[in-house]
Amino acid sequence: MKALNSGFVPIKGTLRSIVPMAQDNYLFQISVEDGSLSGCQPGQFIMLWIPGVGEAAISVCSGQVDGTLELCVRKVGRVTSALFQLEEGSFVGLRGPFGHGFPLDEYKGKDLCLIAGGLGVAPIRSLWQYVLAHRENYGKIILIYGMRHSIDLLFRQELRVLLRRHDIDVYIAAEEIVGPDLPPVPEQLGRVTDMIKLAPIDQNFQVAVCGPPVMYQYVIEELLAKNVRQSDIWLSLERHMKCGMGKCGHCFVGGKFACQEGPVFSLLELNLLPEVIECHRK
Amino acid sequence: MDICYKFSKESFLDFFKLMQSFGQVHAPVRVSEQSFSFRPVEKPEQIAFEALRTILPPKKMFFPQRETLISYSGKEVKDHTPEPLAQVLFGVHPCDLAGLGIMDNIFSAGPPDSHYLARRQATLVVGLSCMPDKHCFCNSMGTDFPHSAYDIFLTDIGEDYYLQIATTLGEKLFDPKPDFIKTIDDQDNQSYKDFWTNRDKAFTSNFKSDNLKQIFDLEKDNPVWEELGKRCLSCGNCTPVCPTCYCFDVIDVASLDGNSGSREREWDSCQFTGFAKVSGDFNFRPGPVDRLKFWYRHKLHGFDDSYGLKTCVGCGRCTVSCPADIDDIVGVVLRLQASQNESKKDESA
Ligand SMILES: Cc1cc2nc3c(=O)[nH]c(=O)nc-3n(C[C@H](O)[C@H](O)[C@H](O)COP(=O)(O)OP(=O)(O)OC[C@H]3O[C@@H](n4cnc5c(N)ncnc54)[C@H](O)[C@@H]3O)c2cc1C
Ligand code: SF4
Ligand code: SF4
Ligand code: FES
Repeated sequence: MKALNSGFVPIKGTLRSIVPMAQDNYLFQISVEDGSLSGCQPGQFIMLWIPGVGEAAISVCSGQVDGTLELCVRKVGRVTSALFQLEEGSFVGLRGPFGHGFPLDEYKGKDLCLIAGGLGVAPIRSLWQYVLAHRENYGKIILIYGMRHSIDLLFRQELRVLLRRHDIDVYIAAEEIVGPDLPPVPEQLGRVTDMIKLAPIDQNFQVAVCGPPVMYQYVIEELLAKNVRQSDIWLSLERHMKCGMGKCGHCFVGGKFACQEGPVFSLLELNLLPEVIECHRK
Repeated sequence: MDICYKFSKESFLDFFKLMQSFGQVHAPVRVSEQSFSFRPVEKPEQIAFEALRTILPPKKMFFPQRETLISYSGKEVKDHTPEPLAQVLFGVHPCDLAGLGIMDNIFSAGPPDSHYLARRQATLVVGLSCMPDKHCFCNSMGTDFPHSAYDIFLTDIGEDYYLQIATTLGEKLFDPKPDFIKTIDDQDNQSYKDFWTNRDKAFTSNFKSDNLKQIFDLEKDNPVWEELGKRCLSCGNCTPVCPTCYCFDVIDVASLDGNSGSREREWDSCQFTGFAKVSGDFNFRPGPVDRLKFWYRHKLHGFDDSYGLKTCVGCGRCTVSCPADIDDIVGVVLRLQASQNESKKDESA
């Protein structure tokens, strides 16, 4: 008799809607048969499986997960390209949710700054949806979202709504204006770091960061310059994950399995091994 | 405390038959002039009792080089967790037992790995004492004595094997007690002690391991890393042979009809260029120096990781299988320690 079932067996998901966003980014709505994903937390991720192609780690993108889950995916390689070929009603496999997301309890009663670079907005969106749904639990909320070209802006409509709210301070900027303008924000041109300089962030803030690997080093420097404590800077790290269960070793960062103990870590926890933050194009 | 008996080497056949009554016996077999491999055996004459390190460590019994995890046909997914099949793994030396202990830890922690555990839990592990050669340094790593991961352990005490039984699985095998099993007396206990004391003296390579964490942290920029990195071929030979390297890749294999296929896992190596690559072609360990340092750190520093383990058990396999003579762990540690001593001298001067 088998004592255990394989952790590699996915649950069945059905693609409910596919919405093209900017450039090579689509928003997928997936429904799952059982309620096993309902406990997903912002910052956690699932392994999305396209049979015959493979799996990719994708962040939970919606703040509330009941029967359906939203995933914002960029077409970059094999699995994501195969996903973009599918049609509504198609079958996909899902495993998870995995890892520890943003520390929602730690954030309670504190001022929050959410920082997204590029596609890093996917998990940050689940976080803003969550904290805005529980608005009374948090102090000031600042959202900073930067991208390379203005044409890459994701969640344009949703951000317009956020810009009209008075209980969240939104900064959006692109390094270059290409295509449509950004929503009406004071500074449209700049980097994430420029917006951090502008925003009224101080040592009382808890900060959540997700973006491309190269962004972290600069964001960290800027935040430390604003006296934010290392233990209050929470980084969501990307690694090429293969299992999600602390076994395959691909997500090892400074001695921790990012898939289990992360992907969100406080800067302090990462004890600054060179390869945790630094990376090279090669 | 283990239950202890002895049996005469002349009655090894009886012991072998007893193992066979449990399941298929796997033991080290000579496969070339210099090399040994764990293989299924049908009679004691096939066993290479003299084998020190097999080419691949015993992990392959529970975590094969390639295996099917799941298969699918349309939307139907089938779990390929193996049916537990009783088997015996004979002739595992103390370093490899320590290695198995580490693998057991990894594969049972977090969400447990059903594929590994199904095989592991159905296996009776019989350890065997050994005498070190010049590449063994388990004494430095504290893995030179059987502590765990065995059901039965045999120590060669001359005419007899001193038999230790550590688990219920092992105890059941000797119930009812077969005739060839004898009780031990003070003389046997003395012979047992003498064996391990003499063995301890037989090690040629050894270093102090209580300061490894410190050494690896302080000497992270030591020139030795550049020097070794320049020579490393990134061939990844060092990882499959290591009893505690567990990293793997998972790949989809689709059949021609496009509607069915399987997901397979395969041993992977942190020494391969793409191991730590993410989208956008960013690489967290782009060069051989980064990868080599990472590997050494995992093996000897222990990373302060979730398991807090130094994952080198001193078997010497990487040392003998590296084509570039880089994985001379003892040599590297001695050099790093020497650099530390030099720095200390400089400071006091
Ligand atoms: C926690 C987490 C959350 C994530 N969330 C999202 C999200 O919400 N949305 C999203 O779009 N992405 C997300 N990602 C990123 C996504 O998992 C990767 O981009 C994934 O690689 C895409 O899979 P793919 O098969 O399409 O690309 P791949 O075919 O895997 O190609 C992607 C990159 O991987 C590298 N690569 C691929 N194969 C190899 C190989 N054999 N050897 C070396 N390098 C190789 C290449 O550098 C390539 O650029 C997340 C990642 C993590 C870890
Ligand atoms: S690192 Fe080398 S010596 Fe140490 S356990 Fe692995 S193969 Fe054996
Ligand atoms: S250290 Fe030796 S065995 Fe390991 S990858 Fe480099 S050359 Fe190959
Ligand atoms: S993804 Fe496999 S160990 Fe983390």
